[in-house]
Amino acid sequence: MKSGSAKTALRFERRDLLKIAAGMPVAAALASAPYAAGAATFQAFSPGAPGDATRPYPRILNAQEWQTLKILADWIVPADSVTGNASEAGVPEFIDDWLGLKGGFLLDQIRGGLAWLDQKCRRVYGEAFAHCSRARQRQMLDRIAYPAKAAPADAAGVAFFNRLRDLVVSGFYTSRMGMRDLPYLGNEPQAGWTGCPPAVIARLGLKKSSRS
Amino acid sequence: MAAYVLTQAGARCLMLEAGGDFDSARDSKWLEWQYDVPYHGGGDENKFDYFLAAVGGWQVPGEPYLTAPGEQFMWFRSRMLGGRTNSWGRISLRNGPYDFQPYSRDGKGFDWPIRYEELAPYYTYTERLIGVFGSPAGIENLPDGDFLPPPDPRCYELLVQQACGKLHIPCIPSRLAILTRAHRGRPACHYVSQCGRSCRLGSNFTSPVVLLNPARLTGKLEIRLNAMAREVLTGADGRAHGVAYIDKSSRREVRVRGKVVVLAASSCETARLLLNSRSPRHPNGLANSSGLVGRYLMDTVMSDVTGYFPALRNLPPHNEDGVGGMHLYMPWWNYGSERKTLPFSRGYHIEFYGGRAGMPMPGILSGTEELTGGGYGPAFKQACREVYGSFVSFAGRGEMIPNAASYCELDPQALDEWGIPVLRFHFQWGEEELQMAQHMQTTFQQIVEAGGGRVVASAGADRQWGISVGGQGIHEVGGARMGSDPKTSVLNSYCQAWDCKNLFISDGAPFVSLADKNPTLTIMALAWRTAENVVRLARQGSV
Repeated sequence: MKSGSAKTALRFERRDLLKIAAGMPVAAALASAPYAAGAATFQAFSPGAPGDATRPYPRILNAQEWQTLKILADWIVPADSVTGNASEAGVPEFIDDWLGLKGGFLLDQIRGGLAWLDQKCRRVYGEAFAHCSRARQRQMLDRIAYPAKAAPADAAGVAFFNRLRDLVVSGFYTSRMGMRDLPYLGNEPQAGWTGCPPAVIARLGLKKSSRS
Repeated sequence: MAAYVLTQAGARCLMLEAGGDFDSARDSKWLEWQYDVPYHGGGDENKFDYFLAAVGGWQVPGEPYLTAPGEQFMWFRSRMLGGRTNSWGRISLRNGPYDFQPYSRDGKGFDWPIRYEELAPYYTYTERLIGVFGSPAGIENLPDGDFLPPPDPRCYELLVQQACGKLHIPCIPSRLAILTRAHRGRPACHYVSQCGRSCRLGSNFTSPVVLLNPARLTGKLEIRLNAMAREVLTGADGRAHGVAYIDKSSRREVRVRGKVVVLAASSCETARLLLNSRSPRHPNGLANSSGLVGRYLMDTVMSDVTGYFPALRNLPPHNEDGVGGMHLYMPWWNYGSERKTLPFSRGYHIEFYGGRAGMPMPGILSGTEELTGGGYGPAFKQACREVYGSFVSFAGRGEMIPNAASYCELDPQALDEWGIPVLRFHFQWGEEELQMAQHMQTTFQQIVEAGGGRVVASAGADRQWGISVGGQGIHEVGGARMGSDPKTSVLNSYCQAWDCKNLFISDGAPFVSLADKNPTLTIMALAWRTAENVVRLARQGSV
């Protein structure tokens, strides 16, 4: 697959899917053209099934990258009193599949980011991220997880972490566990439609429908 | 629609479908969960997502199209029984009186050879047949239809309606071909927001459920699947004698005959068929003595903005799915004195989507660091829950003025895998379309702010105000326009070819202009009128 410029690929991840997620019908979802800049090079791509279902993960990342990905995913979405963590929701598997689907620039950025993180940790702590103590892992994440506060020298790490955070959120909040966590209460046939619940209308300080 | 009307009138019809069978009762991905399917249902750039009831997309394997160097055009095709009616947005708006006389009003584009009043009864027949919810609004140039009751608004829609009120922008119940109560043997909607998947229960409009099934019950309709029409066959007398198609399973050419040929292949595919139908009598392609086949291609002007609304943050959980589309929308409101001050001549309507409607899909909550400041861990997880449902996207849908630089033609060399010459597209927006996109951006920002929100995704001058790529609206129409003069149109006012009197067109190709109203309802009403005329002419013995 080829998805135009790197910038185009990023915009797709960021903006377009946000709207597809919001239940937009076909034409509407594409309104803000991720292709506007790169349509000349846009080539259609339809995903097949993500490889042989019996093959163990990781299928795209290597063992070292996989281990780091799992740790990072659980830092981003840990277990709490509501639901479990990203690993329990199958997020690393989702991301490995997704990287296999998209390949290209996104795969390079995630791989590169995992490598960047390990190099940084080796320089600062003398060992790869996965082998650092929880305290050191946290210290390193704090350098790259807050874009406004990060040092300019860590810009690549910040961009990587933003991208990874989006992937983790995508995987978690489209998982069965994520449905419970939000919670998403739809996909449930209704005998009728009752509109916005009165409690929410009151909370919003609104009147019930004006129909014209 | 033509097959429905013709068979109801007792005519025997043979319908050629380039794709395979599709039965929403059997094939719809209704109620499937995203976590049970590959990539959680996302990642399909060809057709939006896994669930969409489209066999095809921006590219169809083996059936390419080309774009002129330096230009962009996107062409969405569904190769399946019922085509794109299986997955469409169901927005069913009547063109208004102004929309048939745009040239008379502002001196741009062209007038239709018919007036609103001539099409109005067919809008009514169509609405009654397919079932459209809505609410009479009495708005200028937005004729009310024959409506089923509209569903109550969702929470975020009420918030936006209030914001629009402050700006004096009307925000009214939308008009969608979805049943809010049982209608003609089809059950009411179950409100899972999945119309794009096609409906297993037939509670929204698709042509197989609403048109083709009844047509088949007459015993008069034969449908041949996987039949890729190549050309309309004509005789020495110049009349259409039938169609040559490629049977995709045997890859052999088959010829079928008919007294009348009705093309409804979708606008551009219809233009392609005409251009491929060359004969000594029709050397430039059939019905093309005017040279206008493929010309004045139009699409909807689109631009959008996404807003974040703190008021929607952390609301009590509720099921906001509703129908598969918006419950409210904003019709064009500047017909009054404001119109003269605008730098563009035509109008647009606003669609909006968001809140908690629809199944979360990959991409959900992307870019949250811009809102939450980033982070990770328990606080971040909590922030995700809180901001979920607080985004609303506003999508402008505007009228393009047809221009001579937007057209499709046959590429002299390229073929599809069936050996049929393919289309090459040319497409350009005009200055007015760009001005309109800018106005959309400004207006949507005002709405977001009037609702206490802030814009999180928009487009400025550097991105041409977010204007869509031609064809991206999947409203491509024109290419065989109607008219009252054979020199300046392809079809007469009954969508009958000037050059070939037993050839008719019943898709979007006859469109003379493309109002901001989504084209499907007008395509169907026009097709109904066209088919009724075919019956009348056949009974008179004049085709």
